[in-house]
Parts: sequence; structure tokens; C-alpha cells
Amino acid sequence: MPESPQEIDPLEAKQSIVEYCKRKGALAVGVANLQAVERICPPGHRPTDIMPRVRSVISLGVGGQTQGAWSVPAKAMGYFGSTENHAYRIAYGLAFFIENHFGVRSVYCPPDMDPESGPRVPLQSLKVHAELAGIGARSLAGDILLHPDYGYMYFASVFTELDLPHDEPLASNPCPAPSCVELYRKVGQTPCMKFCPVQCLNGEIDENGKQKIMRYDMAACAEMTQQYEAVPAAIMEALEAPAGPDREDAIFDPDRKILWYKMSVGSGGLLGQCFECMRVCPIATNAPLADPVLRHRAATRDTQGGK
Amino acid sequence: MPRGFSRQQIGVTEALIETFGDVIFRMSHNYQERQGDPYRNLDWPEIERQRENMGLADAEIAQRIGLTRDQVLHIRTTLEHRRFHTGYYVRLLDLGGGKRFRAERFTPHDERPQFSVEALELRAAMRYPSDLATKYIQNGWWSDDTLHGWLDKHAAERPDSPAIQTLEGQLSYGGLHEKVAHLARAFYEIGIGPGDVVAIQLPNIPEYLIAYLAIARLGAVITAIHMPYRAAECESILKHSRAKAVICFTEEREYKAAEQFLGLRAMCPKLEHIISLGSKVDGTLSLSDMVERRVDIELPEGPVASDPFLLLYTSGTTSSPKGVPLSYHNILSNARLNAPELALTTDGIHLSATPYSHLYGLYSFHLAMAVGACNLLLPVFKPVDLVTLIENGRPSAVWTAPAHIAACMQVGLLDKHDLSSLKLVIFSGSACSPELVRTLEEKLAETVVVQQWGMTELQSGIYTRLDDPPGTAARTTGRPSPGTEARVVDPESGEELEAGEEGELQVRGCHLFPGYLRNEEANATAFTADGWFRTGDLARRDKDHNFAITGRITEIINRGGLKYNPRVVEELLDSHPKILQSAIVPMPDTVLGEKACAFVTLAPGVSSIRLEELCEHLLQLQIAKNKLPERLVVVDEMPLTPTRKVIKGKLKIPGA
Repeated sequence: MPESPQEIDPLEAKQSIVEYCKRKGALAVGVANLQAVERICPPGHRPTDIMPRVRSVISLGVGGQTQGAWSVPAKAMGYFGSTENHAYRIAYGLAFFIENHFGVRSVYCPPDMDPESGPRVPLQSLKVHAELAGIGARSLAGDILLHPDYGYMYFASVFTELDLPHDEPLASNPCPAPSCVELYRKVGQTPCMKFCPVQCLNGEIDENGKQKIMRYDMAACAEMTQQYEAVPAAIMEALEAPAGPDREDAIFDPDRKILWYKMSVGSGGLLGQCFECMRVCPIATNAPLADPVLRHRAATRDTQGGK
Repeated sequence: MPRGFSRQQIGVTEALIETFGDVIFRMSHNYQERQGDPYRNLDWPEIERQRENMGLADAEIAQRIGLTRDQVLHIRTTLEHRRFHTGYYVRLLDLGGGKRFRAERFTPHDERPQFSVEALELRAAMRYPSDLATKYIQNGWWSDDTLHGWLDKHAAERPDSPAIQTLEGQLSYGGLHEKVAHLARAFYEIGIGPGDVVAIQLPNIPEYLIAYLAIARLGAVITAIHMPYRAAECESILKHSRAKAVICFTEEREYKAAEQFLGLRAMCPKLEHIISLGSKVDGTLSLSDMVERRVDIELPEGPVASDPFLLLYTSGTTSSPKGVPLSYHNILSNARLNAPELALTTDGIHLSATPYSHLYGLYSFHLAMAVGACNLLLPVFKPVDLVTLIENGRPSAVWTAPAHIAACMQVGLLDKHDLSSLKLVIFSGSACSPELVRTLEEKLAETVVVQQWGMTELQSGIYTRLDDPPGTAARTTGRPSPGTEARVVDPESGEELEAGEEGELQVRGCHLFPGYLRNEEANATAFTADGWFRTGDLARRDKDHNFAITGRITEIINRGGLKYNPRVVEELLDSHPKILQSAIVPMPDTVLGEKACAFVTLAPGVSSIRLEELCEHLLQLQIAKNKLPERLVVVDEMPLTPTRKVIKGKLKIPGA
């Protein structure tokens, strides 16, 4: 039976929410400071723009692929590297869980693009939610969030009218890793900057080994990763190409045809992924609890240590 | 039309996009810059200060610069797609599994080299019927053979084995590989790339083969210019081939080749580089320097077997030169398939008496490369030089024209030198008399004599085999090479003829060129509808499917409707003691249409000969009266091809 909101203990509710998420496979769960989210996000992209009576923003993160996945060719990684659907499923279930258990309205925050703003503007910033919920910190890799224990995660958010105590952002930022600082000192670039296929990353590290400046050329990144944007561009190029073989190639060459394939039957998920900055990121790939195998080993060590 | 509004509704013009597009793009999320870590630290002053650097929402930009939100949205998204480059995803395709993108090692696709217009035109000429191409591949005739692939293989497997041998020394496959790599880089540095045509006018010297292989390594296309050619012939070839560079001697005796080619640049606009061997001439590049110099440049991928490889010009015995494009498929499959038929092996030494400017000369090199044999080089043919080189260089096989051996025999050289190293003598390039074959077989008892028929259009098409019955090579040029079909047809009806009947030789197969370059007129008549190439040669086939070449269709004399092949008459004339060499050509006649005109060169010590003497000689040999020549022209020397075949087209009848 749903409890009355007045009878709900916020701490106990939060505990049950965290337990639910972890039981379903989330690695990290947190509650963002709603006022801070509202203040950082621009009008139209604030939680209250989706849910006017929202009281809490819950963010959860799930892990990525196996260790082996980081070694596969980029063209294969593009298909299965991301696991955000797993996060979305948990968030979707969590919204029902809250409504069912606590009797308050909740919503799985749509992770998609704002129909009024084109394909580069999301309805909500899952990144801001996760960062303020304390489950990720901005990296030099275009502000992709990293976690010191779980590395590279995919995030989902749930808005609820339930009052929950919020968490604080991470106390420290794992990026840059010591090895990245070392490379930066030698060549002026961290691995993510050095190996970006479109060189969309740039930045500086201060004398203390902390992030000083992060620069991100999102337009360049989009040319690599936002394949759904490439489809209309390809059509335009075909229209502008001279009739004959040039136009035929503009539509039908293998690169173009694979776009159609990905847009139709072959995607299996979202298509905005490149992964090369994360592939070379020591935090993303080698965080101590980044995947189930590592977590199991860590848990086993803890148990044995306890004995 | 963002949010469903048209430009007219929100007042956006191209002028507005042009004016505000850049600033909107920059103020938006498309470029982001963050200093420190203000969000995690909730450092509100810094968050506010950096808000614009992190990218503003459309409404915020609109407020900042004085446009409506919908105008900003429209302009931003317009800029986003206008600045969007497609095709970048392909940068990822080679990455992963330890491979990392390195900006300094990556050349964007639109900056990568592309084939020139001329190269594409040449590639477009490499068109084969799809059913035949399928057959050639399914039969294993067309494979992945490339010259650089073969060189890489031999250099890796047997780097110390000799690849080139002269009387002055040897060059191993390892050494050859290194020199070829140096020269290929030097060529690439000056802009010679895949598909570009490079002409070579050099004799059979090591530099020829090094340059040949270096050009091939780049995927450039080689055109060969015969050494006797001068400005007129060179200009014709350079113009038609659209050669980008020419490699030549600086000078050779009175022939100042480099200066000549420098002068030809004005007439040949595609000709950029003159690369000369010898003393330095202003405006030219030194081939020697290019071979020795180390250039730090990464070579492009090498060619593949379907790429154009050679652009050769026919020997022109009957007409002006025609460009013959040939692929690695055509040429190297021929060498690969023929090598075992000729029992060629790695330890063989190949000698070509014919210049490498002729495909027959190159054929010996291609065969050597097919098996990894050594190439013994004879720069210029002289009878005594040939036999001396055979005696000292100990070749296992020699590729020669009948005239080369005949010249040696004439002065008794074959009896004075040790030719015992020869296991194989291959005759080609012109008709070979049975007597010559028999005589040679008698003198070289341990040597197999092979008679071969080939053309620039297909390299080696027909030849006798090592295990043929005795006398086969004296009577015929043997059977088609693997991958080649041959037939004899009636030149007028096109119907295939029975064994023993003379008609036109037609061939088709995996070695055959696809058609003359930029010469639709020639192509229209060169092939039958079902892809047979009309060789223009007359031939007979015997019951064992051996072919004997009997002449040229164009040389047939049509005297009042009675046609005959003058080849037999020429052979009988050549047996006259006063005659060194003869050639009969048709002479226009108002009554009969054509009559025969005999051109002759006189034997040493003979000062004159009369037509009556010739006719008497022929009549004694039982020749029909209607085949008697009706005019005699004595010339000092015959115009000859590099394989010493008479160029009848150059025999001009005085007063005609």
C-alpha cells in the first residue's frame, strides 16, 4: 500500500531507492540539489520545466561494457559500447517504484533531444543531475563524467515530488589521472586530447595536477559521433551533386548506406558515440570497481580480509 | 523551419544568418570552455562568470545579442548543418585493438591524393567484358600479382640472390629492393603518383630496371620509348600518353636526349620532369642522385593487380603508333602462367637480346621476376657482344629475335664461343625461318629452341613447348599460352577455318589488352563482337593445334583480284646470293589495283642487282608468275623495329 507522503521518512525512502537501483544494476545512485540544478540549467531545461512540482532529482549510473570491449575495433565499439538503455530501464522502473511505494508522482526523465531546439540540445542535462548528485565529476574529455571507483558510467534521472535529502558533489575529481598528468607534462596533451580522431579536446593542467582549462569543440565532436545529423547532410550533398555517378555515390557509397542502416535496423541503441577518448582514459577503463568482475573480486577481497 | 515557423514568419534572412551566424555559433554549446571545476565545487561566481564560455541556450543568446529566440534557434541550427562535415566517421575504422588515432599521422580524406584526370582516363580504358573477367578470376589466371609484390617477396626470402647481373657486377634482390625504394620515394617527392605516366628511354642497363620497378611501386604507369626514337616519335608518344616525366640519358653519342626532351616540354604540356642519367643538365633531375638519396617520405599504398601497369606503343610496322594499356593482370599473369611451361626456376639467368623498350624484352624480365631469377643485361645488341656475354655471363635462357641469331651465324660467331650454358632459346619478334631453328638446334644440342608469337597487345600469346615433338619449333610457333585462346578465321567472312587453311589469327584471353587508348577508330575494327582480337597476322593451324604465322593481312598483295601472301616470295628472294634482306609491299596500279614492289638490301660486296635477275631466280624456284615483283628498289638499310622486323609502312616507293 502506498504510504502517505507525510509519513515518509526521507532518509529511509532514499535508502530504499538506492537499494532498488543497486538491486537492478546501478553502480551509483545519488540525489542532486534541486535548487542548484535549477540555477545552473537555463530556462526551458530545468527540472521544473518537465515536472513543475518536482522536489527531488535522483541520478543513477550504470557501468559500461566488459574490459574486452575496450579492445575491439572502433567500428564495432560504436554499436555496443554504450549501455545507457540499461540505465534508462532502471530509471523507468524506479519511477514506478517510488509511485508504488511512496504514493508520490515520479517521472523517468526523458534523455532525448529537445524537439524545439534541434539534435544538439537535450531536454534536460543528465550530466548536471549526476554531477550534483555526487556520482561523477567533469573530465577533460569534453566534460564526460568520471567516477573514481566506477570510472565511465551512463546516467539516467528520475524526477519525483518526494522530498529526499540531496547529496553533495564528489569531494575530488579523479580527472586527470596521474599518468595523464605525466603525459601532459611531456607532450602538452592528455591521452584523450592526443588520440581524439577529430581533435575536439584541448585543455590545460595546473601545477598541482588539477584541471585548469577544459576546451571542447562540440561541433567537431558532432561530426564524428552524431550520425543522425549526417543523414540529412548526406541527402543535401546528394542533391547538390551532379547527376550521374557523383550523385549515386553521394547516396549509395558504403559510408552513406551504413548511415541508413544504423538509422533503421542496425543501431541497437543510440548513435552518438565515438569512445576513443574513453578508450584511452585510465579512469574509464581501469577504475577499481568499473565492471562486475572487478567488483566481485573487490567484494571477495573484503570478505576474506574480514575473516 | 525551427518549431514549425518559416523564415518569413520569424524574419530570418541570409543577411541575418551571415551577420550573426558566427557569433551565435560561438556563444552556443558548440564551443565550450571551462576553467577549474566550478560546478562540482558549486562556485557560483565562477559558474556565472563562465556561463557564456560553457555555451548559452538559445534564449540566453537571444537576450544577449538582441534577436528573438526563434531567430537564434534558426540561425544556430542552420550553421550547425552548414558547418557539418560528413564522412568523418571513417577516421575510426582502423582504430581500436591497440591502434590509436594520431593527428600527426592522419591525412584527412579530402586532402589525400587523387588520381589525375589523365590517370582516370587511363583507368577508364581498362574495361573488360564481365563474363571474361569472371572466367579469368575463377580459373586462377587473374590473381593478385604485382611487380612490387614479387620484388618484396624475393627480397624478403632471398635477399642475397642476384637480381641483376652485368659484366661489371651484380645487384642482389635485397640491394635492388633498397634502390627501388629510394627511387620510388624520390619520384613521389616530385609529385609522381599512382596513375601518372612515366616514360623511359634507356637501353638495357640496371638503371632501367630500377626505374621500372620504382615507377611500378608507386602505381604509376610506364611507357617505353625505343632508343632509336628521336624528337618526332618521342613527341608523339609523350603527347598521346600524357607522360608526366621522362627518364633518359643526358646524351648518348650525338643524341642529346635531355636537351631534346627539355625542348619537347613546350609541345607536351603534361611533361613536368626530365630525369636524366649522366652529366647534369640544367632543368633536369639526376637519376643517379635520386637513386642514392634518402628521402624521408611515406610512400602510398602500392598498386593492385587490376591497375594499369604499362602503356606501350605498337611497333608501328604498318601505321602510326597506337597506345596499348596493360594491367598487371594482363602482363604478370602471362609471366606467372608461362614460367612453369618454360621450366624457369629461381636459379636461372635470363638474357634478353631485345631491348626492354619492347614488350618482348620486358617479357624476359617479367618471367625472371615471376620466379626470382637473375637478369643478365645486354645494353645494346651487337653480334659479338651477345655471344661474349653468353660465354661470360652464362645465362640459362635467352630471349632473342631471329635476326639477332642470324647476324651471329652470318659471321660464324656461334662456332667460336661457348654457349653451353643456354638451356633455352626463345625466338620471337618476327618470322623465324625453319632453317634458322634447325641450324641452331644442331649447334646447341642441349638447348631447347622455342618459337613464340607475341604482340604488344598481349605479351606472349603462342609458343612451342619444351616437350613438343622434334621439328615443331621449326615449323610453327606452337600452341596458345595458358589463358589464351587462338583461332584462324577467314578475314572476310569471319568464319573459323579448318586446319591447314591460311587466314587471320584471332586471339582472346586474360593477357589481352582492353583496347587502344583514345583510339575508338582503331578499337572499332580491332575486336570482333564476341571479343576476339584481330591480330592482323596471317596464320595456319595444324591438326595438333599448333599455329604457324605466315604474314600480315595488310601485306597481302591483291593483283587484279588474285591475292597472295608475299612472305614466301620474300623468303625465296632472301636466298638470292646478292640479297641480304628483302621486303615486298603493294604498289598501286591503275589496271590491276596492286602490284608487288620488292625492296632489297644488298649482300656485302654487291653493288647492284636487276629486277630481271630476281624474277629469273624466283621462276627457277617455281614461283607463280603473277607473284613476281614488278618493281625493284634497292635501299641501303631497312627500317627495322627493335626486334629487327621490317617496318613496311616506312618503305616509300619512289615516285608513288
